[in-house]
Amino acid sequence: MTEQPETELLVIGGGSTGAGVAWDAARRGLRVTLVDRGDLATGTTGRFHGLLHSGGRYVVKDPDSARECASENRILRRIAADCIEDTGGFFVTTPIDDPAYADRFLAGCAVADMPVAEVPVSEALRQEPLLNPRISRAFAVEDAAIDAWKTVWACVRGAAAYGARILPYHEVLGIRVERDAVVGATLRNSLSGAEVEVRAQCIVNAAGAWTGQIAKMAGCHVGVVPGKGVMVAMNHRLVNTVVNRCTMPGDGDIIVPIRTVCVIGTTDVPVEDPDQIAPTQAEVAEMMEAGEALVPGFSRARALRTWAGARPLFPKGDASGKVQDTRDVTRSHSVIKHGQVDGVGHLISITGGKFTTFRLMAEDAVDAVCAELELDSACTTAEVPLPDSEGHHFYWLGARQESMEERVHDDAVICECELVTQGDLLSAAARRPEQQLDDLRRGLRLGMGPCQGGFCSYRAAGLLHHDNYYDRGQANQALGSFAQERWKGQQTVLWGQQLRQARLDTWIFQGILDLEHIPA
Amino acid sequence: MTGVEVSPVEWVRGSLDQCVKCTICESACPVMEVTGLFLGPKTVGPQAERFRTGGHSPDHSVDYCSGCGICTRVCPQGVRIAEINSRAKAQLRVEHGGRLRDQLIARPEVMGRLARPVAPLFNWAMSNQLLRAVGQRMVGIHRLAPVPRATTRTLQYRLQRRRPRRPTTRRVVYFHGCSTNYFEPRVGLATIAVLEHNGFQVEVPRQGCCGLPLQSNGLYPAARDYIRRLTSQLSKPDLAGLDVIATSTSCGLMVKREAIEILGVEDRSLEDLASRTYDIFEFLRARHDAGELRTDFVEVPLTVAYHAPCQQQNQQIGKPVLDILSLVPGLKLVELDRGCCGIAGTYGTKVEKYDIAMRVGAPLFGDISEVQPDLVLCDSETCRWQISHGTGVASVHPVEILYKAYGGR
Amino acid sequence: MKTEVLVIGAGTAGLTAAVRLAQAGVKVVVVATGAGSLGLAPGTLDLLGYAPQVVEDPLGTLPEFVSDLPEHPYARVGVQHVRPALEWFQTAVADLGYQGDLERNRLLPTALGALRPSALVPESMAAGEVGPGTRILIASLRGFRDFFPQLVAANLAAASRGLDVRSLEVEWSGDPSDLAPQRLWRQLEQPGVRRLLAASLRSGLDGAAAVGLPAILGRDQSGDVRRDLEDQIGRPIFEIPTLPPSLPGLRLFDLLKGALRRAGGRLVLGESATGFKAGGGEVVAVTASQPPRVEEYQAGTFVLATGGVGAGGIEVTPARQAREPIFDLPLAGVPRDPQDWFGSDYFAEQPFDRAGVRVDRSMRPLDPDGEVIYNNLYVVGAELAGAQPWREKSGEGISVVTAVRAADAILEAAR
Repeated sequence: MTEQPETELLVIGGGSTGAGVAWDAARRGLRVTLVDRGDLATGTTGRFHGLLHSGGRYVVKDPDSARECASENRILRRIAADCIEDTGGFFVTTPIDDPAYADRFLAGCAVADMPVAEVPVSEALRQEPLLNPRISRAFAVEDAAIDAWKTVWACVRGAAAYGARILPYHEVLGIRVERDAVVGATLRNSLSGAEVEVRAQCIVNAAGAWTGQIAKMAGCHVGVVPGKGVMVAMNHRLVNTVVNRCTMPGDGDIIVPIRTVCVIGTTDVPVEDPDQIAPTQAEVAEMMEAGEALVPGFSRARALRTWAGARPLFPKGDASGKVQDTRDVTRSHSVIKHGQVDGVGHLISITGGKFTTFRLMAEDAVDAVCAELELDSACTTAEVPLPDSEGHHFYWLGARQESMEERVHDDAVICECELVTQGDLLSAAARRPEQQLDDLRRGLRLGMGPCQGGFCSYRAAGLLHHDNYYDRGQANQALGSFAQERWKGQQTVLWGQQLRQARLDTWIFQGILDLEHIPA
Repeated sequence: MTGVEVSPVEWVRGSLDQCVKCTICESACPVMEVTGLFLGPKTVGPQAERFRTGGHSPDHSVDYCSGCGICTRVCPQGVRIAEINSRAKAQLRVEHGGRLRDQLIARPEVMGRLARPVAPLFNWAMSNQLLRAVGQRMVGIHRLAPVPRATTRTLQYRLQRRRPRRPTTRRVVYFHGCSTNYFEPRVGLATIAVLEHNGFQVEVPRQGCCGLPLQSNGLYPAARDYIRRLTSQLSKPDLAGLDVIATSTSCGLMVKREAIEILGVEDRSLEDLASRTYDIFEFLRARHDAGELRTDFVEVPLTVAYHAPCQQQNQQIGKPVLDILSLVPGLKLVELDRGCCGIAGTYGTKVEKYDIAMRVGAPLFGDISEVQPDLVLCDSETCRWQISHGTGVASVHPVEILYKAYGGR
Repeated sequence: MKTEVLVIGAGTAGLTAAVRLAQAGVKVVVVATGAGSLGLAPGTLDLLGYAPQVVEDPLGTLPEFVSDLPEHPYARVGVQHVRPALEWFQTAVADLGYQGDLERNRLLPTALGALRPSALVPESMAAGEVGPGTRILIASLRGFRDFFPQLVAANLAAASRGLDVRSLEVEWSGDPSDLAPQRLWRQLEQPGVRRLLAASLRSGLDGAAAVGLPAILGRDQSGDVRRDLEDQIGRPIFEIPTLPPSLPGLRLFDLLKGALRRAGGRLVLGESATGFKAGGGEVVAVTASQPPRVEEYQAGTFVLATGGVGAGGIEVTPARQAREPIFDLPLAGVPRDPQDWFGSDYFAEQPFDRAGVRVDRSMRPLDPDGEVIYNNLYVVGAELAGAQPWREKSGEGISVVTAVRAADAILEAAR
């Protein structure tokens, strides 16, 4: 980026919050530039379990958050249907849950204006045959599965249609403050190494778990506590409905069916560095064991992969403190106007919150920006469908299979586990040629199925070389680092079938292709 | 998931977790090899299953799966691919309905009963090219597809006039299957004679269809009714605990396993029945291993080629036909080693699948032509009809050779 | 079922042992969960490729190799048994024309364009050992998704300075299902289809002295398929093995199956052995508990060829307990702390990689004190401890050599 290093609003952070801010602000007529140090949705947004909360989890413990979730759930279903699979959700009282909680739960739902209906246990079991047959009560709620990557990219495509500039792979090195206000930032293009100065009238710090690190560049303090949450993806959907334990929020009490897998989560442990959050074997074992309460036999089903995300927890009213138990920190969000708090004007930090409330977070942040810039404008994002959601059709799981069968005689399937075709891969590459193979993976789900890239990574590298996106060295390198990246997420689940899979994949890469001896 | 009480059907579905995408099933699938209409067992089985939620089916090509079961048999990881495919086909049926044809051909017992009183007319009609062409257009059964010959004198009818034998304590139940009763009673007569020769008293209760063709055509509720009815017919109190002998390897597999794992029939008496059900040659080999099989054979100077049907191999009993018939003097016994004859029950009779079935069977037909046997031996009736159709060589159940070897005519 | 020898596992090791025994007149039954791993194997007979540097003379390197690794299967077998075993195997699968010199590894291209050292290669791949000064053409069918001639050519050129490599994509079909490997193998068995391919190759030769193609040249009569193409284009052709389904491996499977059948052996697929019965310090039967009932396989001798971790011969529970699931044989080489099993560098040796069953010189399993557990049980192939076949490029060598050794030990014991 060398032309026009000037913008009205610089948004730092390409997760859901930042993308939502870009969309909202662009619609309000602001000239927006969005930056992220990596590809979009690679922070916490790309690492959560995909749950669009009904609010039920918080009705007793955090009623404000519950009400926000319930309200935003309705809105997102209206504006982001293409990103959402309407799985519905159950809250169930398992044998290890306090039966009295269920009544508090129901009362809380009413207060939060959250739809809920008790269903007979037999009906819940009919719908979900693997659910624990010993549950005593079941409640149907409006939980759903939401695709974070799709949502983020829908927001930024929408923003780009209004002139926003989207810059992944641009890391913020410093923020320039002149006379009590921010005036711009120094960025480095992490692909080319080039540095560039950007002038901005206003900056929104939407860097999630890294909000504190960014604020520090402007001499401000934001006491975000990264809360590590470990998740395990299981090889197939053991349930097709979101299932929650009807109890006070704890670890490993939700299973979310999302795309072709189901995800169990999660833990909540404060950490220092949101980039150092690799799951340990003990944490993974804890999650596998936790799944037994909801789905007996869970711990012996095939685990595909594990990862952790770092929640941006921001204790309300305590801008600096450490907390004893991050479970107790509110999940509602905070807008920090640094002009008021730190004397650094035109810098807004938005932190806390959840994916489910990202639109509301963005609305509050952009309202603050408009106030800062003395602009009179109203948010419209609650009414306007995101790109591709105009038809108001929810995503359904079978779509890829159906589409694959329709195209199978014209377009070769490259990633068979997740049904990614040659056309899908090459058009994604054409749209953004700078993408690394791992970024293509994130968007297409290439290599995210059972074989974890054992077959498709070779095909993808070969195709991208064939079509001149990669030269020989880049193709080899892509294959090697893809294999390394896939290994990272499997390391702590190498038992049973996934270990057998890993052995086969190793046999392919090393035994057949001899990848490790490829010339540099 | 082991060690947990999941139903057999859920267990079968859960076996998709064992798939490591190794493609071994695809390299053995006889249908995928000959047509691009079928995307292969891995693709439509454990792979597609991850995209199915039990709601609206996203599938089309799984319809071309023949159900031969070779995929499950060769899978080194134990994925129940064919079973998963069968259930996916049934779901397609539920959503898209099916052809009337499938309702017809899935009920051989009904067809046999209707054809019986007019057997000569039925047989003439089935061999009349004009009528067959009309049948192809109106019903969808390919005009060249092999069909059985009806008879007025079914097995059950002939058994009514059987001379009573001296009763012994060694009683077994004979599960003959629709085809033996209505189309090939001589197989049943030969079987009973062979068993009696070895000192067994053979009980042949009135019995109906096992429901396999209904299952393989995705008509699960009707199939369940049939198998339940058959179970009670074969499990009458005076037959309790007896070994049950099956001569049709497809029907035998249905009772042994498929009704439980595919249809999901949860029935103690069916499980009990399954645990006592044996293929005829499996049974005879066990008798031979115990030193109990009579070997007073006469010479049978024939060259015969044995094709083990897919459903026989899916019983995992080896090839006891070879083990037993290798004892018969004078018999030149050649083992054929090609996957599938193509018919796959009713699959190869359908107008849209006949050509595929014939291409599937072509290598086997070629091997048979090279051997030039007097007879082809095969334990499954539909396979026999397909093989004769594809090669012009007569095909019989191997028990008929054993019957000959014991001096029968 | 009753038999003399029961072999569990239908991979290279299991079928090799079974064929050796059956050809010696022994009644053999092979049971296996499925069709074994040959469909995954590149189809070369690799003795030893890397130790960890590239090995030029595998047979000559073995003595030093095994003295550094006394737990390695080659060490357990004894180096003196290697040549006879491999030579016998070559004759058992003579139709594939395995050739080579155990004292000189050939460097053959992989589907990525690396050069992989192999001791014995089938005739279909032999022309792939190319040297500088000759131009070779790497070709494929456009749309065949498991092989990329441009990338192979580019990497080969970088690997081997002075090598003149071109690539060619032959127009074939716009319908990807026509390019499924299983269909291509069969189609190329038809002369008419071959003529089309030959014509395109001829016109794209561009002065090449030899042509490399992905391994799709016919499952049956593969030699005829390739020779016919060679005649038509007037150049040697070599196959390059690629992702599974691996045709060269499947040809081996077909031949071994056929050899077993002709020698009177039986193969029961889809049968998972799950337990055993012992009596008098010996194994008397192996049980398989697939519905509708438990089956017993009684035999005098048993061979365990279940393929190690990748094939389910060694199971690992979520609690990281590793076990051999049929006989519960003790495993060697399992690091005590599961945290230590795997490291974070994918391409490094993983501490768990060499876990397996430890055996004596006759391939009988040993307990931690070095005592033979069952006199009539033998363990062969990838189930054995001490090797990393995918890194060493030693998989087929280990399978064949240990299987032949076990078979011979069984025959000796019978005398």
